[in-house]
Amino acid sequence: MAEHTVAAFDEELGQISRLISDMGDLAGSMVGGATKALLNSDNALAQRVVSDDAIMDARQRELDDRAITLIAKRQPMADDLRHVVGSIRMAGDLERIGDLAKNIAKRVGTVGLSATPRDLSHSIDAMAQLVLIQVQGVVEEYAAGDAAALAKLRNDDERIDVKYTSVFRELLTYMMEDPRNITACTHLLFCAKNLERIGDHVTNIAENAYYVLTGTQLPANRPKQDETAMSAPAA
Amino acid sequence: MSQMLSPDMTIATEAAAKVKIEVKNLNFYYGQSKALKDITLSLPERSVTAFIGPSGCGKSTLLRVFNRIYELYPKQTAEGQVLLDGQNVLDRSQDLNLLRTKIGMVFQKPTPFPMSIYENIAFGVRLYEKISKAEMDGRVEQALKRAALWNEVKDKLNASGLSLSGGQQQRLCIARTVAVKPEVILLDEPASALDPLSTAKIEELIDELQADYTIVIVTHNMQQAARVSKQTAFMYLGELVEFDKTEKIFTSPREKRTQDYITGRFG
Repeated sequence: MAEHTVAAFDEELGQISRLISDMGDLAGSMVGGATKALLNSDNALAQRVVSDDAIMDARQRELDDRAITLIAKRQPMADDLRHVVGSIRMAGDLERIGDLAKNIAKRVGTVGLSATPRDLSHSIDAMAQLVLIQVQGVVEEYAAGDAAALAKLRNDDERIDVKYTSVFRELLTYMMEDPRNITACTHLLFCAKNLERIGDHVTNIAENAYYVLTGTQLPANRPKQDETAMSAPAA
Repeated sequence: MSQMLSPDMTIATEAAAKVKIEVKNLNFYYGQSKALKDITLSLPERSVTAFIGPSGCGKSTLLRVFNRIYELYPKQTAEGQVLLDGQNVLDRSQDLNLLRTKIGMVFQKPTPFPMSIYENIAFGVRLYEKISKAEMDGRVEQALKRAALWNEVKDKLNASGLSLSGGQQQRLCIARTVAVKPEVILLDEPASALDPLSTAKIEELIDELQADYTIVIVTHNMQQAARVSKQTAFMYLGELVEFDKTEKIFTSPREKRTQDYITGRFG
C-alpha cells in the first residue's frame, strides 16, 4: 500500500497495528502459560499469567485512545477506516481472551490442592493445543494479510467445539466414577469452557480481520459443534 | 438489497428510482485540451449525487455542462449527450433560459446581487413569470423558508443581500435558486467558504431539499460527500473512475485510484 501524503498518518496507523500485534502475542503467551500452569500445577507461572492481564488491559486502553484520537484527527476512509474500527474490535476480543486465560490461571491452585490425577486433565491438554494454534494463527495471518487463511481459521473453530464436547463428557464420567473428583473436574470444566470461549473470540477476530483486509463480511453462519447443551451423561 | 453497478456506470437503486439526468459518452474540450473523457453515468431523481476528485479532474466542468453555463466562454465545446428527462440539453434547439430555470446552480463563493434580500429572490422570478405583488411576497417567503433563512431575515427583507453573513448569503443564493422552481440543483463547493456551523446548516438544507429536487454536489470535502450524498462519483484526469453508492465508495471502493484518493495517498 502506498504511503499517505501525511507521513504522521502512516505512523499512527502503524502504532495501532503494533499494539494489535503485541496484544496478540501476549494473548498467545497467556493462553499457553495458563494451560501449562494448569497441567503442571505451576503456581508461579499461573501468577505471571494473572499479572500479565493488567498489561493486556493497559494495551487495550492505549489502543482505544490512539484509535479515537486518530479518527478525530484524520477522519480515516475506506481501508484506513476499516483498519481503525477493526482494530478497536479485535482489541476487545484479545482483551477478553486475556481475561479467560487469567480465569484458568486463577483455578490452578484449587485444582492442584484437590490432588488431581494427571490423566483427568489429559484431554484438556489436547484441547488447549488446538486453541493455542488458533490464537497464534489469527494474529499471524492478519499480520501477513492472508484473508483466505483467516476464513479457513474461522471455520477451524469447529474442531475446538468438537473437542470441548468430548472433554465435557469425559469429565462427567470421572465425576460419576468417584465423587472425590468432583471439585477438580468442575474446575477443569470451567477451564474447558474458557478455552472454548477463547476459540469463539478467535473466530470474531478472524471475521474482523477478514473484513479489514477485504472490505466484505464473511457469511454469518459458520459450523457449530458444541453439543454440550444437549448431551446427557452416559449411564 | 443487491445494488449492482452495470458497466455503463448506472446504479440500480432499490426503489428503481427514475433517472433524471443521463450522461452518455460526454467529451468536453477547453480549446484543444480534453477535460472530460467519454463520461457515461445516470443520476437518479430526487437524490443527492456527489462528485469528488482532485482539482482539475473535471468535476466542476461536468457540472457546468449540465446547464450549459460553459457556453458563456469561448472555445469550450461539449460532445455527446446529456439527457434531462430523456431530452438532450446539448441540442442546438434547447432553449437555454428554460434549461437554466430547470437546472439551478449555486457557486463556491456566495454571489448575492447588490440589491435587497427581497429583490435578490424576486429578480429571478420576474424574468420568467408575471405575478402580482401578493403572489411575489408569498413566493419570496416560501423560498426563504425552503432555504432555512426566513427566521433570520423576515424583519429585514429590504436590507442589502450583501449585509448578510457568508453562510446566510449562501442560503440566500439557494433560496434564489429554489424560487424559480427548478428540477435540478447544482451545487459547486457550496460550503467550502463557510464556517462549520453554516456548513452544517447547508448540509441540513441539502438533506431536506432532496425530497423535491435532484441535487448534484461537487465537493473537496470527502466527509461532506459521505454525509450528504446517496451516490458518489470519483473523477480523475477527466475520467469517471468509479460511481457507486456513497457508503460503498467510502468504506470499500472497488478501484485502487479511488481508495488512494479518499485515504489521502495520492500522488
